[in-house]
Amino acid sequence: MRKILFLGLLVLAGAALAQPKVFKGTEIGRQGGAYRITSISDPRTWNPFVARETSSTDIISLFLPYLTSYDPYTQAPEGRLAKSWEIRNNGLTVIFRLREGARWSDGRPITADDVIFSATVHADQRVNSNARSSFILDGQPIRWTKVDQYTVRADFPKPYAPALIQGWYIVPQHIFEPAYRAGVQQLQALWNLDTPPAQIVSGGPFKLESYVKGERVVLVRNPNYWGVDERNNPVAYLERYTVQIVPDLNAQLARFLAGDADTFAAANADQVAQVLERIRAGRLRAEIFPNVDVTLGTNFIVFNWNHKDPFKENLFRQVKFRRAMAHLMDKKSMIEVALGGLGQPQWSPISIPNKAFFTDDVPKYEFNPQRAQQLLAELGFRTKNRDGWLVNAQGRVLEFNLVTNQGNTVRERIAQIFRDEARKIGVKVEYRPIDFNELVRQLTSPAADGTREFDAILIGLTGGIEPAFSRNVWELDGSLHMWNLGVGGKRPAKVEAFEVLIDTLMKRGATTLDQAQRRQIYVQFQRVVAENLPIIYTVAPAYNPARLTRLGGMFPKEQINSIVGQAPYIETVFAKE
Amino acid sequence: MFGYVVRRLLQLVPTFFGATLLAFLVIQLAPGDFVTRLELDPTQDRESIANLRQQLGLDQPLPVQYAKWLSGIFQGYLGLSLSYKTDVWSVIGQRILNSMVLVVLATLMIYLIAIPIGVYSAIHKYTWPDRIFTVLAFLGLAIPNFFFGLIMLFLAVWLNDLTDMRILPIGGMTNEFLHLGNMTRAAQWLFPFALVGTLVYGTLFWLRSRRGQTPTFGVWLGLVLFGVSSLLMLAPLLQGPGLPERLPYTESPLWARVTNVLWHAFPVVIVVGTSGLAGLMRVMRGQMLDVLSQDYIRTARAKGLSERVVIYKHALRNAVIPFIAGIGGLLPGLIGGAGLVEVVMAWPGITPALLEAISAIDVYVIMGLITITTVLLMVGNVISDLLLAWVDPRIRYS
Repeated sequence: MRKILFLGLLVLAGAALAQPKVFKGTEIGRQGGAYRITSISDPRTWNPFVARETSSTDIISLFLPYLTSYDPYTQAPEGRLAKSWEIRNNGLTVIFRLREGARWSDGRPITADDVIFSATVHADQRVNSNARSSFILDGQPIRWTKVDQYTVRADFPKPYAPALIQGWYIVPQHIFEPAYRAGVQQLQALWNLDTPPAQIVSGGPFKLESYVKGERVVLVRNPNYWGVDERNNPVAYLERYTVQIVPDLNAQLARFLAGDADTFAAANADQVAQVLERIRAGRLRAEIFPNVDVTLGTNFIVFNWNHKDPFKENLFRQVKFRRAMAHLMDKKSMIEVALGGLGQPQWSPISIPNKAFFTDDVPKYEFNPQRAQQLLAELGFRTKNRDGWLVNAQGRVLEFNLVTNQGNTVRERIAQIFRDEARKIGVKVEYRPIDFNELVRQLTSPAADGTREFDAILIGLTGGIEPAFSRNVWELDGSLHMWNLGVGGKRPAKVEAFEVLIDTLMKRGATTLDQAQRRQIYVQFQRVVAENLPIIYTVAPAYNPARLTRLGGMFPKEQINSIVGQAPYIETVFAKE
Repeated sequence: MFGYVVRRLLQLVPTFFGATLLAFLVIQLAPGDFVTRLELDPTQDRESIANLRQQLGLDQPLPVQYAKWLSGIFQGYLGLSLSYKTDVWSVIGQRILNSMVLVVLATLMIYLIAIPIGVYSAIHKYTWPDRIFTVLAFLGLAIPNFFFGLIMLFLAVWLNDLTDMRILPIGGMTNEFLHLGNMTRAAQWLFPFALVGTLVYGTLFWLRSRRGQTPTFGVWLGLVLFGVSSLLMLAPLLQGPGLPERLPYTESPLWARVTNVLWHAFPVVIVVGTSGLAGLMRVMRGQMLDVLSQDYIRTARAKGLSERVVIYKHALRNAVIPFIAGIGGLLPGLIGGAGLVEVVMAWPGITPALLEAISAIDVYVIMGLITITTVLLMVGNVISDLLLAWVDPRIRYS
């Protein structure tokens, strides 16, 4: 009798999870336990069509499914809600098969209708979802259609390399469709922070349990989740996932030091030291991995090629000038002083952690003031005037303003180090921090005649794992083609040859499907950028993660990276005690 | 008097328009808008940026935006938060209440401690206790609040280490789980002391009033403190034993939640109140000294009145008049939050929300707060003026 019951249970379990996703953790874990992290700011919404900032999407990603993602071990595409895919028509069509038996937390099945509905809403111009760019390729739409209940098909206007990365959130159609029919405003009002958590339906590893504004978000395990571990035990292992909102970095550190938060990323050497000291004093059972990787963020200087002063425009367009500026960057001091000794120099546009595409084999214009002086002399700046500034034959002083956004101490220090080195050889750099929004305005809003007013800006962009997603920076008509910006979405009026090459490489990279060929293209892209320096990269801050030893299922030190984090999947993290 | 009140209330209308218009213009003067930040996101193209601006109404001329906002205000609607996509009140309402916990407690602490110390310092001018209070007051005034907050956090960590117990909270306003068992046991242990204290002070109170004397400040304070504590402990004593050892905050009984919030508020209130306390203490001392050198005090003493009556009935009453004028200022302060301390100590008050709104240029959240503050400030000023006329017979409004 007992055997039959057991078999019956097995059959039932099989019916509920016909095609579960196997999450390969670093070790087999045990059920139960809580995971507590801190977040710098409150979520803004639970609605994935409204969410624009990580404080919201970090939580939404715990309870809403998506088709595919990156394999945390190989960074290759990996199925999530999609169990497999098939590429047809030379890459113009991708057919995704969904996991049969996957269910929302309210018991309804997750089907192709949910996927197609979500794609439709994300692509809707009126909704303005943050994921809308995933549905347009060079101005043409990517069409999503239902094949059958568990199969969807995406048709691309041209071959698209990141076609397999479909990370937009899928919502339950039975909840969102009535609101969508009623209008965009109704849709956007759905699942706001005042919605009772019980009404938020989950299709991910956790579901929302409670939210106290300004304090914490609590999620609990979703028993209907479609994931298992390698022994077919259901995941997530964790019973409870708490995000504590702590708006101050030092207060976050205090929480970790008190053992009230399970993970922490130390921002600087001082914080690393505090954590280490406490571990050594035996007050905290934790591990910290200083400088184990660098973050994806970048810091760089960009010169204005659309300057209203023709002298400056011409100067900034000289590759010799930009190389001279690169030679003036004392990256060692920048790491020591601005980053507290934790960080790495950066030479090219692809972030160092992005192993799939990153190459270190690029031309490097290292710190060398003599060489800088020599290059500037070749440009005509041979003599110094009475005040000690370099001048050319016409008596024009070599001078420019450098601005960065106020309040970012790392950038402020990098800018100061650069200014001091430049001034030593007679380049008159005036440095000034300004308001972030003002800086963005100067950078992205040219006057009607196409000129912009700034000289040089030190700023950063958050990098990603997929280089094709940064095409707005590198393609000629991109909205973030910062050094040489066109007006009204057009190409800039005067274009250098290497910019055309970058544009071509970016377009080819985005449409090449073969991984090895893609890498070749992006390696060449990095070399062209590093050699011509439209953007002069400085230093990348270190990633210094720390965690309590009570956590299991985490990466060993060698595998930790700033893209994936400290654990391959949240599903396979567990509490040892 | 009535005419004066009506006139003052009518003056509020142009002031309100002027203040909100000015605030609106100042916000718009700052470079950029809510969408600007997204322009540096490489995955966003021009079209979606422009779409977003249009959708949020940020592309409309300023007068139109202001008029739209104003028409909402007249219907009691503060506007739509650009980042939360819900109405502003639901973004700031709860946070204002959270801040009020701090501000009310800190204000109480300030007045209850500063006035007695100020009076004491004035009476015992240049004695050792006065000098010590003076030094402490300067220290309190000199330490910036946010820095004191950080010190308090690390003090809490250090103290908890030292005792291996949770003596002080590490920031925040509530705990995820409440240890009802601990609270109940603490109440059982402390209740007898509170009860004895209440009885002692109750007896003192009773004895004094039977002899026809007014009870002293100390007796009042003792009776209130011990009495309120014993009353508060009744709830855990009666209900506690039947409850589980540990419950999530949201499922705990009211007394446990209140205790938890008060426990978290304790170090924050000390930080928030210190500078105010130090300042008020000095002002009170100065006021008191001023009044004590007046002729009527000399007359009162010459009449042979007891020193107690001279100080409390004649001097103190005159010395506190300037504070009455300050009461109106407390009203907007109540919702203004406790400043950066809230950020440093992770108190979910209005300051972190306001800072986020300002850095994101979430116009209507900022405007909503300014509007509420402006109205309360104006009403508070009227109240102060009326109170002044009431306590000080020298002031007349006609």
